[in-house]
Order: sequence, then C-alpha cells, then structure tokens
Amino acid sequence: MSQVGKLGYVDSKLGAPSSGQQTTRILFNTIEVPGITSSLSFFKNFQGLTNGQTNLTQNKLDSMESMVIKTIWLAQYNSSGALNTFGTDLQQTLSIIVGNQTVVKNLPIQFNQGQNGQAFDRLHENAAVVVDTLTSETATYQRCIPVEIRLLTDIVIPPQVAFEVRVESNSANYGTGAVVCALSGYGKIFSAGSSF
Amino acid sequence: MALSAQDKILYVANKLGLSSLGQMQGSTGAVYDVDTDVSGQIFSSASRHQNPGVTNVTQNEFEVNEALLVENIAFYVRDNSGNVRNFQQVYGSNAVIVFDLVIGNKRVMKDTPVFGSGSPYTFANVATATVNDGAEGTAPGVLPRHQVFMEGAGILIPPQVQWYVDYRVFNIVTGSSIFISSASAIGCYLFGTRVLLNFNTTI
Repeated sequence: MSQVGKLGYVDSKLGAPSSGQQTTRILFNTIEVPGITSSLSFFKNFQGLTNGQTNLTQNKLDSMESMVIKTIWLAQYNSSGALNTFGTDLQQTLSIIVGNQTVVKNLPIQFNQGQNGQAFDRLHENAAVVVDTLTSETATYQRCIPVEIRLLTDIVIPPQVAFEVRVESNSANYGTGAVVCALSGYGKIFSAGSSF
Repeated sequence: MALSAQDKILYVANKLGLSSLGQMQGSTGAVYDVDTDVSGQIFSSASRHQNPGVTNVTQNEFEVNEALLVENIAFYVRDNSGNVRNFQQVYGSNAVIVFDLVIGNKRVMKDTPVFGSGSPYTFANVATATVNDGAEGTAPGVLPRHQVFMEGAGILIPPQVQWYVDYRVFNIVTGSSIFISSASAIGCYLFGTRVLLNFNTTI
C-alpha cells in the first residue's frame, strides 16, 4: 500500500476528515541545554520555543491534519551552533509513541551515525563520520551530518492524538547547546476550500 | 500503484478545467529566484530581477498551458558577485529556514524546516561537495544539502496562477531570528516535471 493509500485508510478507520491539502510535512522540536541524561522526550515541551525551534504548539496535529512518518532525523548542536555527533558514540534507542501505542520500539540510532556506524540503508553511506579530525568544528565548518533513519513502514499520526519521540541511553552527553528531532513524511494540512 | 507525475498533472488539470494541458510538451524543469530585497519572499519580485543572473522567470506565474509539478525544493545563497553558495557555509549549521509555499491564495507547504546542518531525505553526504578548510593537505569538511524532496507525486503549480515562497531564518539553538544580508541573499529553486506550451501545427 502506498503512503497516500495508508493515510487515507487510517483516516477513514478513525473517521477523520479525508479532505485537505496533501503535501510533504516535516515536524520538528528542539530541546535546549539537554546536558547529560538517560532520556530525551521530543514533542513534549513547547514552552519558550520559538518558530525556529519547533513548528507545533502542542504535541498533536490539528483536527483536520494527519501525516505519515517516513524519516526520523536527529541533530545535536553545541552552544556555538556547531553540529556534533548525536549523544557522542554511545548506543541509544528511539521509540515513537502515538496515543497510548508504541509504534516504533527501541530502534537503535547509533548505527546510522558515528565513525563506527553501519547504516541500515544502502543510501546512507558514511552518515555522521567526522571527515576532518584535525580541525575543530564550527557553525560554518561542519565535519559531520545529522542522524537519519528512513522507516520501512508507514507510521501514521492521526489528527488530535498526542505523540512523542523518546530517546534512551545510559547517560549520554548531549551538551549545552540543543538537540533537535524532526519527523518527515507525507501529510494533509487543513484547507478550507470553498467553505469560508 | 503509485500516482505518476504525469497522472497527477492531468488529474489537477482536469479538476481545474484545463482540458488542453494534456496535449502540451512534457519536460523536466526548474525555476529559481533570489530574495535580493531581503523581504522574506522569494519569486514574488522575480519580474524585477536580472535573468538569468538572479532568476530564470519573467514573472511568478506560468503562461497559458505551462505548468510545473514541484518535486524538489532547494535553498541556497547568492553572494554579491552572483556566486551560488552553500547555505550552511554562509549562515552556519545552526541556521534553519522555515518556509511556506503559496500557490494562488493557498498555502501548500506549511512551516516546513530546512536545516542548515542538512535536511531529512538528503541522506548523508551522497552527491554533496566537500569543502577544504583552506590549508593544503588537510581533510575536507561537509557541505550539507538543503532540500525538501516531496513525498507522493509532488504539487502542481498550474498555468497563470501566482506562486511564491515565504521564509524566515532562525538560529535553532537560541531560537532567535538570523539577520540576512542582501550581500548573502537567500535563493530557492523548484524542480520537477514541467509542462511546456506546444502549438503543434497551429502556427
């Protein structure tokens, strides 16, 4: 089933509206000054974040909006804006919870980044390998790239259902800058059409 | 079976009553423009811009029976000398563009982020250039890509309908807005399946 068909199928099962503008949707959320922690919860706290740090105001989509997640993207920045490897080289697992259901469970992310990583997909090549160990990274001199995992199944976030992305580790150091999670895929946004 | 680009164009054309669009020349194309005024909008001032130095369109709408199915949106920086530069190299890994694509009076892409450090879908540094930090013999850094590859079959810009990209640039670490200099203005291209006017034997 295509992602378009899957979204329509789930929306109709839930009685959600099937109209709306079909588009590519990327949701993102930032955690400031994460420090050393065993658990990060993205899309949970929106207080104090600007439009440059998240494009949602609550942990759910609007009543007329829904989306299919195709890609999970994670990045860690230091306080100067330079990109670092996410959680250094420690093993970390990622779970996505939609409503009261875990839809992605303990997916390891470390393989898709880091110098020792073996990415899940063939396209990913040398994700997050530090290409220059001689020069320190700065905001305008980037030595690695963010972590990205392309999902094999279409995960649907229905309208008005709370969701969360959880990253767990054994006390990974996420630094004093910020960590960002983006969920990218296909979605529907509200379109009034001729209603107004 | 997934909807093809051609099917999507004909589907939308049919909905809009554009019965002759299917007889036009199918092609591949891209349109680009730069926000030289730092107004926060790209393409809306294209008619005043140098062609092809700044833009390749004479206005931000296609003529009769021409259209573009947008399948890839990318951002870049144009410097004072007219050079195309990588967004991350100029504004930093922590810069993020948050943009809307507006066609007619409808917003078809909503608050979409393009991360300076490299966007989703762009899959590592495959096909990206690398930059040397200046010293000969040292290893190169990464120049990430700043694109949105459209899921599904893309979005059609129909003939004779204005479009533009609304954007803002933020520091994702602090959340503050980033000052955009006109000497390093933000540019955007829309790439995809193109429909070109074809007169056949009419003239």
